[in-house]
Amino acid sequence: MGIGSPMKNKIKVFRAMHDLTQEDLAKAIGVTRQTILAIEKGKYVPSLDLAFRISRHFKVNIEEVFSYEDEMPTRE
Amino acid sequence: MKKNIFYLIIGFVALLLLAIFWYSVENYTPLFFMAAFVIGVVAIYLAYRRVSDFVEDERSAKISEKAALRTLQVFWVCFCAVSIGAVMNLLYVPKIPRDHLFEQPVQSLVIMSPRIIGYVQLGLLCLVIFLYVGFRLYYARKYGDWESDEE
Repeated sequence: MGIGSPMKNKIKVFRAMHDLTQEDLAKAIGVTRQTILAIEKGKYVPSLDLAFRISRHFKVNIEEVFSYEDEMPTRE
Repeated sequence: MKKNIFYLIIGFVALLLLAIFWYSVENYTPLFFMAAFVIGVVAIYLAYRRVSDFVEDERSAKISEKAALRTLQVFWVCFCAVSIGAVMNLLYVPKIPRDHLFEQPVQSLVIMSPRIIGYVQLGLLCLVIFLYVGFRLYYARKYGDWESDEE
């Protein structure tokens, strides 16, 4: 977990689209502003529950906000 | 209750405990301080539950959890080492030559005096506080507590 984590997110983009500050988003989903900042910077990977809350706040699917960039090993 | 009032209560309880500590040392009433300490901690906990503007989210909970776990992992090794040392002192019986059996002062059998045990306990107390604060700072930094804001 942290920098170098395969979990990426587009929270900053969605915040800009909805004209929200980190503080606004944090208040809306019941976390601290520092947590939003840490998630955006990839320092902290949110739980599934928080990830769903964030994506539901933007009224999009979770995959649109969060993505897992490492390739999964495929079965031949 | 507001956060600032809670911090004031903590300060007040700490000052009160300090005064009771001083009184207990002066009058040698350790039990009085022990009881006061437990009551003080319970009072702080009850006050904490009434604070309305504390936001403890999953990240801060994770930081506390990780710091506590790592503290425990390191501390139990140190604590066991000290405890095993103390048990060895307990089991050790000094060899007293038969000729001088009754000449030997009784004090020589006391390997660990209460004063030394007190110093050891003080060391362990300082160690656990140092470990927890250190790990808390480490995990807070790791999970982005002091990240600069780009907004």
